[in-house]
Amino acid sequence: MTAMTRNPNQASPTESANAESRIYSRPRTAIVTIVLGLIALAFGLALSVTFGAKDIKLFTVWEAILNYQPDLTEHRIIHELRLPRVLGCMLVGSSFAVAGAIMQGMTRNPLADSGLIGLNSGAGFALALCLAFMPGLPYMYLILFSFVGAALSAVFVFALASGVKGGLTPTRLVLAGVTLSALLTALSEGVALYFRIGQDLAFWYAGGVAGTRWMHLQIMTPWVGAALLGALILSRSITLLSLGEDVARGLGLRPGAVKLAGTVIVIVLAGSAVSTVGAVSFVGLLVPHFARKLVGVDYRWIIPTSAVLGALLVVAADLAARTVRPPYETPIGALIAIIGVPFFLYLANKEQREL
Amino acid sequence: MFATKRKSITILLGLMLMSLWLAACGNNNNKAEPSTSGSTASQPASASASASAPATERKLTDGLGHEVTIPANPQRIIASYLEDYLVALGVKPVAQWTVANGIQDYLQGTLKGIPTIPYDLPFEAVMSFQPDLLIIGPNSTVEGGKYEQYAKIAPTFVLGDDTVNDWRKALLKIGEVLNKSDEAQKVLDAYEQKAADAKAKIQAALPNQSVAAIWLVQNSFFVVSDKQSSGDVLYNDLGFKVPAVVKEISAKGTGNWNPISLEKLADLDADHLILINSDKGTGSAALNDPIWKTIKAVKNGHVYEYPSSSSWLYYGPVASSQMIDNVLNDIVKK
Amino acid sequence: MSAYPMSPEALRKRKRTVFVLTALAVAIVLTFIVSMNTGLIRLSPADLLRTLSGGGTERQNLILFDFRLSRIVISVLIGMGLAISGAVLQALSRNALADSGIIGINSGAGLVILLFVAFYPTATAAPAYLLPLLAWIGGGFAALLVFTMSYRRHKGLSPNRLLLNGVAVNAGISAVTIVLSLRINPEQYQFVLTWMAGSIWGSNWSLVAALLPFILVLIPFVFYKARTINVLGLGIELATGLGARVSREQIVLLAAAVGLASSCVAVSGNIGFVGLIAPHLARRLVGQRYQALLPAAALAGALLVLAADTFARWLLQPTEIPTGIVVAVIGAPYFLYLLFRTKK
Repeated sequence: MTAMTRNPNQASPTESANAESRIYSRPRTAIVTIVLGLIALAFGLALSVTFGAKDIKLFTVWEAILNYQPDLTEHRIIHELRLPRVLGCMLVGSSFAVAGAIMQGMTRNPLADSGLIGLNSGAGFALALCLAFMPGLPYMYLILFSFVGAALSAVFVFALASGVKGGLTPTRLVLAGVTLSALLTALSEGVALYFRIGQDLAFWYAGGVAGTRWMHLQIMTPWVGAALLGALILSRSITLLSLGEDVARGLGLRPGAVKLAGTVIVIVLAGSAVSTVGAVSFVGLLVPHFARKLVGVDYRWIIPTSAVLGALLVVAADLAARTVRPPYETPIGALIAIIGVPFFLYLANKEQREL
Repeated sequence: MFATKRKSITILLGLMLMSLWLAACGNNNNKAEPSTSGSTASQPASASASASAPATERKLTDGLGHEVTIPANPQRIIASYLEDYLVALGVKPVAQWTVANGIQDYLQGTLKGIPTIPYDLPFEAVMSFQPDLLIIGPNSTVEGGKYEQYAKIAPTFVLGDDTVNDWRKALLKIGEVLNKSDEAQKVLDAYEQKAADAKAKIQAALPNQSVAAIWLVQNSFFVVSDKQSSGDVLYNDLGFKVPAVVKEISAKGTGNWNPISLEKLADLDADHLILINSDKGTGSAALNDPIWKTIKAVKNGHVYEYPSSSSWLYYGPVASSQMIDNVLNDIVKK
Repeated sequence: MSAYPMSPEALRKRKRTVFVLTALAVAIVLTFIVSMNTGLIRLSPADLLRTLSGGGTERQNLILFDFRLSRIVISVLIGMGLAISGAVLQALSRNALADSGIIGINSGAGLVILLFVAFYPTATAAPAYLLPLLAWIGGGFAALLVFTMSYRRHKGLSPNRLLLNGVAVNAGISAVTIVLSLRINPEQYQFVLTWMAGSIWGSNWSLVAALLPFILVLIPFVFYKARTINVLGLGIELATGLGARVSREQIVLLAAAVGLASSCVAVSGNIGFVGLIAPHLARRLVGQRYQALLPAAALAGALLVLAADTFARWLLQPTEIPTGIVVAVIGAPYFLYLLFRTKK
């Protein structure tokens, strides 16, 4: 990944300084946001670990972390169930948010989100096929198939987009995603009917973050970690790209290479997240916008801020999903959509220009 | 896309819930108490004069208020999902219930070789068996104007939701429909006797013990409601105590089997655990989970595992009776 | 129109329209025949003819008239209804990518049906004609939401915004539907479920009777308004200039489109893409004039749904696939094709 992201700034220092001075950013706000976000995340984490089907005191939680005794059921629950779950939420939130930020920056499309453009459902469909043809496949391979599914969707959408003169308008990109998902969903249903796996698929969809265990985290974390790191390395180029391809090219950037690297990162992020939580939309839409509002348009700040805020959002949503109707869980994707939709409407309608 | 995805999730969830529900209220045949099918004539002349009278067409009102003309001597009966009542009454249907992932295995001793019909009873599939009587369980099967269509194929008797959720009522009602009220009563009496004996044995051997039935499928756990399905047998008929966790989950659940998180399971203080394992084929990974191993009954070795083909996921005279046998053989003897 | 002598160009167009309509009608009749022959129980063509002419056995009558024909008629009706609804929506929004499914009308109708079933347990036993009416309320609400949000004073309706808002409202309604559906019991849920998968569930004559009034009133009404629709399609400024009472006409037509789509999906379940494909196909075949486009779209829609339903009944016999899945598998690629072919 890093090989492809070779920092492409070959322009003279003054020229790039000029361009960069046009990039409006608020590093101080960004740092404050990230720090506050991390503090909030720590609180969210504590709350999330404390809260659950079983009443466990905060003190016990603390003890379980510092002085883990596998014989105690409460410690076990915290260690085996709640910690991996909340950490999984964080990873998923960061992944979706950063994937959204990268896509929005690269495509200059305010409505880009891995869910909205069909990447997530591609990953979901790949997982459905796995269930049909290779039941009992270990997670290690499932996540790879998830990548493949997301990648195929991405290739499909971008190939179509590049076939259109002047690229896709935001509306068309979203419509393409909606339709691609409708198609993949219908196919998944067909596969489920034909191979009689309706039940299995249902369990996968219903699984959500509740099933996240250390084993999943072990496999997922290196991928997500590398991708997030890659995103940070790439962030400066994305900022330049977000000024427009011509500007970026003028600054010595190779837009093709950056886009390729960015797309790979997005696929890994979205694929990992979907393999854990299922196809959740709107995180990647909501969070980067919010981040941009706070910290300006420099992706070097937007990406880390998005990672923190995305984690925060999903941890909070997960907490809500468990609180709405205990002891049952409400699907986290539906909850996020209920928050996300009004926001999407706001975004789609506030812009004066046609999307 | 998002919307459709959600839609599909809803659908899949629904399919799942439905199959749970189907599974849960499906099978109620009592192999233990086979009533001989030709016994009508040998019934002692009792209050029910109709039983001994020569069979004629009868008019009965079904659970939805339809007046149904029951043929004198129905030969080709379809009672999808209600097969165990038929088995208990010694009647063979012309077609038996099936869903995508299976049939009622525990009844196959009697039903083997009988062709299957999809659970949603497509009109032409029903018609292809040329039935002369259709008995249908829940209201939803005939909703949306389907009743009129089925009624054109054959007289269609709908038990209705209230009846179908209580196998005793359903058994007596089906007995009435098939002109076998006496047999139905006998089956029921025999069951009550058997349950009472079993209860006495249980209370003597394991006084005040609690039990829970857990279903493992696709790495997810479900727990039976305290009043329905096998829960009805365990708690009402056999007098086991209901664990607090089961009570809590049942209070808010909508199905016979409700999802339970591992975390909640860890809290389950049942003395005995009946495990219905549908994951056997794929390795039952969930049972190697450290949390599973912290459950009280698991730690104490009081887990009794049954395959998904056993009667535990079903409900009815045959199923319930088989469950009692399981309990006596495995839990009480142990 | 015929009072004026026709230009050769107009004459050619008219000929083409007549040809296209005839061809579509023939295709429908052929599919109709195939569909009558599709099912678990074999009816030979000879049996079919005999039964149709009134000489069938009781069993054959039942199979043909009660099971197959009712379903075929429903397929044809909803195909026409959804297609006309889509054609009107496309004209109103001046966007070739509009359709009742994409704009959220279908899911709005579905949500109301869910609520009705959830809070009124005997709902599914309710008379069949109640469902289309209820669906109209739900679909109308969703449409109102989407259209008001996409309306700008002085600028009128923004076509793209309409789609985006529709997608979002659709997603929102679906999310609410999921959350609510977890609270209803499995029996009720089954009903909602079948509905959402887009299977033509009851398929009996009482449903035909429930749907028919909507089709019989609203489709002729839309046909009657064809000239207005032509004018509206030109855009708000031009239309106002030409003297159409734009907003009133728009509202009336919108209500008609919503009524058609809602009543159809109330009976058929959530079937998407028909309202999108059929008008587009019609446009390619007979051109932009709504006097020709509407009937062509209606026939194309009927053909599409009828063919999809026949296929759905045949593929996994005796199990039936929801028709909505088949339509989506055909419709989605076509939509993608449109998306990348049509000029902005």
